Amino acid sequence: MMRVLNVLLIEDDMIEVMKLNRTISSLDLKHKIIETNNGEEALQFLQKKEELPDIILLDLNMPRINGIEFLSILKKDEVLRYIPTVILTTSNNQKDLLECYKIGIAGYVLKPLKYEDYVLKIEKVLEYWSINELKLV
Amino acid sequence: MSQNQLELLQRSLKREKAARKAAEKILENKSAELYEANRKLEKSHTELEALLGKTDSQLQGVFENIVDAYVIMDLSGYILKMNDAAISLLGFIDSKEDYNLIEMVALNEKYRVADSFKELLKTGAITDFQVNIITKKNEEKLVHINASIIYDQGIPVAAQGIVRDITEAKKAEDLLIESENRLSTLIMNLESGILLVDENRKIVLSNNKFCEIFKINEAPNKIIGKGCTTVIDNNKNLFVNQEGFISRIDEINKYKKDIIGEELLMVDGKIIERDYIPVFEKDNYKGHLWTYKDVTLKRKYEKSIEAQRQKYRNIIANMHLGLVEVDSKGVILMVNQSFLEISGYLEEELVGKKSGELFPVKEGVEIFEKESNRCLNGESSSYEVKVKNKVGEIRYWLISGGPNYNLNGEIIGSIGVHWDITDIKNLELQKEKLLIQLGKSNDELEEYAHVVSHDLKSPLRSINALVTWLKEDNKGKLDRTSIQNIEHIENTLEKMDQLISDVLTYSSIGNESGEKTSVDLEDVITGLVQIMYKPEHIKIEINNKLPVVVGYKTKLQQLFQNLISNAIKFIDKDNGIVKVDVLEQSDYYKFSIKDNGIGIEPKHHNKIFKVFHALNKRKDSTGIGLSIVKKIVDLHGGEIWLESEVNVGTIFFFTIKK
Repeated sequence: MMRVLNVLLIEDDMIEVMKLNRTISSLDLKHKIIETNNGEEALQFLQKKEELPDIILLDLNMPRINGIEFLSILKKDEVLRYIPTVILTTSNNQKDLLECYKIGIAGYVLKPLKYEDYVLKIEKVLEYWSINELKLV
Repeated sequence: MSQNQLELLQRSLKREKAARKAAEKILENKSAELYEANRKLEKSHTELEALLGKTDSQLQGVFENIVDAYVIMDLSGYILKMNDAAISLLGFIDSKEDYNLIEMVALNEKYRVADSFKELLKTGAITDFQVNIITKKNEEKLVHINASIIYDQGIPVAAQGIVRDITEAKKAEDLLIESENRLSTLIMNLESGILLVDENRKIVLSNNKFCEIFKINEAPNKIIGKGCTTVIDNNKNLFVNQEGFISRIDEINKYKKDIIGEELLMVDGKIIERDYIPVFEKDNYKGHLWTYKDVTLKRKYEKSIEAQRQKYRNIIANMHLGLVEVDSKGVILMVNQSFLEISGYLEEELVGKKSGELFPVKEGVEIFEKESNRCLNGESSSYEVKVKNKVGEIRYWLISGGPNYNLNGEIIGSIGVHWDITDIKNLELQKEKLLIQLGKSNDELEEYAHVVSHDLKSPLRSINALVTWLKEDNKGKLDRTSIQNIEHIENTLEKMDQLISDVLTYSSIGNESGEKTSVDLEDVITGLVQIMYKPEHIKIEINNKLPVVVGYKTKLQQLFQNLISNAIKFIDKDNGIVKVDVLEQSDYYKFSIKDNGIGIEPKHHNKIFKVFHALNKRKDSTGIGLSIVKKIVDLHGGEIWLESEVNVGTIFFFTIKK
């Protein structure tokens, strides 16, 4: 039985948000996407602790609080630290990758050039997490 | 018995009686003669004894009172009489010995003694006879004998002698002779010329060196007894100042005072040092001793030492290094001009002060003390120290210090050579700062490259998504040309994306964060070949087992990947072959990757390793691939070059240091 996921997307690029939404709908998935434009907005949302997401898809290169800073803050929070966070980025900088894994991430996915490839990757990620057991809120 | 027989016997008897009577008569006469003789002998014996007794008593006093040993013996050598001194000298217990003196003579002396005995008997006396004897107590002794014969009425009857023990005297004499010999040999061969002159200025003693200096063609003993004035006068022309030479001698002779170390110049350039020592015996002038020393060589050495000293003094004074000599307590003894310039002090402000207290700033004191102690333990060392000069500027000095020894090899302090390296030090510090800055800006640059590549790639992804959606949303509505143009957009995006990736890769080579490790190329390349895209008609061969090298694994992998995929890309033959090979050299490996592709024209050989220099406009060529290859080879201390023939193929060679 596939779980319907609450997905928090932290992404400042409008078209990237559109890509994810279009992917969900084109794959006919029921997952709920919560959109935030940057880390600050995401934190505000999370700190309300009302409707916590099952997983977070996090872009690294963002203005104000960047992905890694956001991740560090998240991991210090007693409750929020258990939310699996998957990095979704165009940067294959080894330094960033190592730093992310060090702080604690649930995956590191590179955005491919082609949209078709993007759809395939997102499908797999969501599929994977929807069969995982997650911490009950 | 017949009558005849009887008569015969009677006649014979008669003859016999007559004969006996005659014999008895003779015997009687002889007996009377004998008696007479005996009486006479007895008388003379008594007389002799009386005489002897008289002489005896006369001699007794002398005999007992003489200190020397006195012995009377008969003519065969048997002792008749001796005094106490003789008893002790000859090793007897008392005078009652019945002993022949000949037995005492040492075996090898027997003939000489026999001869002297004959002499004694013949002439009646011997004097100064020396002989080795072995006494009754078995002691070897050398004795001196004066002896004479005792006569009785012209007939020799005994011998008397006075014996002296001269063993010790002889030994002492021998020693004296020996030491005299030694002394004279010594004097003869002295390195100084010796002339001993008596009070009349006659030569008593001279030696070889004297004759040599004064060019006297005679043996030293041949001039003994000659007047020294003549000898010296004859040779005065050997000296530069002839008259002065003579007048000075006269002057010296007049005053008779010790003169030491007067210098004389000889015509042949020799320098002679002269001493004069008068000899007095109980205040009476008995002569004098001249000593002449050839000091030419010594003076020459002294001069050359002086010249050398001057030379080094000049070097020390003029060198640009500061020189400081300190004693074992660190007190400054000497500084040179350069040190004054370096330190800013005046000489009088430094000499006598402790060097350690003058200059060091806090962190320098410890180094200063440690290194000074090392010098005093006989070690040399070089060290850098931060100091303050007189005006309080911080300066950096490189000091090379070493122990200073006296003539006995004892450490009496140290000598330090100081070099003001402040300028160099500042450059060094500046360099360090720059290096840190460079590292930082390199890091920043790489960061920047990543950010830029991210920022450039993101829009490409967006454009790709949008174009894809255009296609999807307008399916069946677009004409062929539009669909083709959309494809062109997609290809351009791909090339753009590859370009950005390559630029990023290229710019990050040489900025490795990790260390080089051992890389097994056999493993890496076989793995690489398996996962690489290979068209059906192309075969990749690895001819030799690839070595293990020290380097960056991912970079090496990329190097091979770029070259092999390049080779594959440009093969136009039906059966393509890519050959990977390696040749081991003394200090590097030479790799080669050979293809049978289109080849490269010679005019391009130098350009192809430059960035953005793609020879062929292809959708999958960015012009960076070979630049990356070159950079990776550089990174591993190697070289890269190629051999190629158009339409036949290309071989890329590169080396990697072992």
